[in-house]
Amino acid sequence: MSTINLNGTAHHPRNQSTATVAYLSFARSIMLIARREFRDALSSKWFLLYTIAFTTLAIGVSFMSLAGSGEHGFAGFGKTAAGLLNLIMLVVPLMALTAGAGTIAGERERGTLLYLLAQPLSRTELLLGKYVGLAIALICSLCIGFGLSAGLLAWRAGGVGAGSFLMLVVFTSVLALSMLALGVLISVQSRRAGVATGIALFVWLGLVFLSDLGLMAGTLLFKLRVQEVFALAIINPLQAFKMNVIINLNASLDVLGPVGMYASQEYGATLPWLLTGVIVLWCVLPLSIATLIFRKRGGI
Amino acid sequence: MRLPVISILATLMLTVPCAAGAPASEIQRLIDEATPGSVIEPSPGIYEGSLRITKSITLDGQGKVTIDAGGEGSVIEIAAEHVTLRGLIITGSDKSVSGESAGIKANTGPVTIENNRITDVYFGIDLKQSPGSIIRNNTIIGKELELGRRGDGIRLWWSHACIIEHNTILNSRDMVFWYSEDLMIQNNAVRESRYGLHFMYSHNTTVRENHLTGNSVGIYLMYSNSIHLLENQIDNNRGTSGYGIGLKDCDDIKVVSNLLAANRVGIYIDNSPSSADSTGLIHANKIAFNEVGLLATPNTHDNTIYDNGFIENEEQVSVHGGGQLFLNQFAGPDRGNFWSDYNGFDRDHDGLGEFAYEPRSLFRTMLAREPNLRLFVHSPAQQAIELTARAFPELDPDPMLSDPKPLVLPPRFELDTIEAGPGGFRMGILSIGLILSSLFVMIRLTVEREISAHPGAPRHD
Repeated sequence: MSTINLNGTAHHPRNQSTATVAYLSFARSIMLIARREFRDALSSKWFLLYTIAFTTLAIGVSFMSLAGSGEHGFAGFGKTAAGLLNLIMLVVPLMALTAGAGTIAGERERGTLLYLLAQPLSRTELLLGKYVGLAIALICSLCIGFGLSAGLLAWRAGGVGAGSFLMLVVFTSVLALSMLALGVLISVQSRRAGVATGIALFVWLGLVFLSDLGLMAGTLLFKLRVQEVFALAIINPLQAFKMNVIINLNASLDVLGPVGMYASQEYGATLPWLLTGVIVLWCVLPLSIATLIFRKRGGI
Repeated sequence: MRLPVISILATLMLTVPCAAGAPASEIQRLIDEATPGSVIEPSPGIYEGSLRITKSITLDGQGKVTIDAGGEGSVIEIAAEHVTLRGLIITGSDKSVSGESAGIKANTGPVTIENNRITDVYFGIDLKQSPGSIIRNNTIIGKELELGRRGDGIRLWWSHACIIEHNTILNSRDMVFWYSEDLMIQNNAVRESRYGLHFMYSHNTTVRENHLTGNSVGIYLMYSNSIHLLENQIDNNRGTSGYGIGLKDCDDIKVVSNLLAANRVGIYIDNSPSSADSTGLIHANKIAFNEVGLLATPNTHDNTIYDNGFIENEEQVSVHGGGQLFLNQFAGPDRGNFWSDYNGFDRDHDGLGEFAYEPRSLFRTMLAREPNLRLFVHSPAQQAIELTARAFPELDPDPMLSDPKPLVLPPRFELDTIEAGPGGFRMGILSIGLILSSLFVMIRLTVEREISAHPGAPRHD
């Protein structure tokens, strides 16, 4: 859209305004769907459940880790950070994958998808609108959980600084966006919400446990070199997320042993960008593929 | 003792303050003309050049005299006994590695160096064969060079019975003691340097209440015997070595009542004690929030380790390269250590757990075999492995140590607690900001407004 806009600027003012209108209409359609999706999410059980679960767990982890640290101001890499990290890696992908998986497949199962597609909307607009709406709902849910646990940390003066904590929220949101995209990809391919959720759970298991365990086994069996372990590990967006968080808290990956030290020395300041790139790729690729599939497949 | 004549003379001679700086030769002439034992107080100002002190005098700048060598050689060289340097600002030595220039260099002693500020120097204070010297209340800031290229903040070489106290050192390599015995080292602070305190072949010394933070290593003892480390605060030493305290081939070391926090490794024991008939004592230390609380080589033996609090270290104890530590006692006569990950209970309320602390972790055992696996710490997969090991006991590895009398409550520490950073307020703002902004978005997106829908907008109500 914007390229048309740029090309038309010099000679065809009329053309330009048409392009702008088209772009605005595109954005507005997406926002309308997003708003509807967001409202549905807020009134649905999953949003409430996820928000309560994530908030309770985040506060619980912060509280338990603070109980150990007592009056001391610092906590090294810290049980708070490590505990939150573990929690996020378990819960956030689960939230995002299942939320994404339910969206199109659910509407398809209930028959409401055909009604939506009958509206003067393109399929791309519908899909992206749903994605944006869910993304805002998820990030709100995360922010409430993080906000309350930040409140607890502030009250008890934990070891994590406010800047690092904010970055943790940002990284987690980006991770949630990529997992949501993956969930949406699962959803456009499924006819039933139950099947989509099942696949989402399997993908979650794979990303959280199986790929790491497999890579560990590979490292032990084949005596992989550090660069090989690193390259294989960062394919997994969860590992990339974890490294990004640790760099942010610790300035170096020395916590992660030889592989971490290799990564820090080899890539230096570009490492966070590399890792963020991996996660963003995990967001853009599934969403693009989902859009292509949805445009072809539509309501069925 | 004070010779007013000299002072008056000095004042008379140097009353003309020069903005650009007077030559240091003016002070040099005062020194050359002074009788031994006299006190020289140059008038305030900046003096350019270097000094060489060849007789027993006191040079007192009262904090207002700057001597700037302009990047050539050492700033002050002492070649006489009983020299006192006080209240001087000393700056601008040479930075070449081969020259080993220093802010203050002495080749004989004793000398007293106190209340000086020494900046932009290669070495700070460099004493050779200066027994009985006192280095007190100086601030030393090294040149901005990479860690390995810097000089030492304070170096003692064959200088016994010195007192080094209340000094602050920044940006240097080490505060290092070579072949120097019976020292008293207390209340110094070393930050952003390589080794906070570094002992080489230096015996019989007490190191008390020093604060070592943000260095590569806090205290590193090498080939040095009978050293007592008492009540030091050692935190955030996370460099390539990253030890709070490192003990290499040292006999009869006592590590008592120190705080070791947020280092990469709290205490690293490398073959200490090394002699057959000597022992080591690690008692009443608080070892908290380090990556590894205690790291030891497998040949470590005859250390008695008790009454310490091992609190929330990512890994409480680790054996370098794998193995066990059963040649050391993790308990004193009547009590062991506090371990924050001990999950036993105290039925008879004697303060001791009813069964031994024997850490075993399948993941740690795998780590000792394949260090690359450390990449997977802090991940759910690590938890999955530990859970598997607990579910199938035949997979559970042997424990690496046994503390038969673990404490159920952390021991009390007499150390000052470290103040919580000022992060609380900002964290509070962040908390409120996150919650409010998500509430705002929720309300903004859910409350129905007049939507000026363009023709393509769907209606849904």
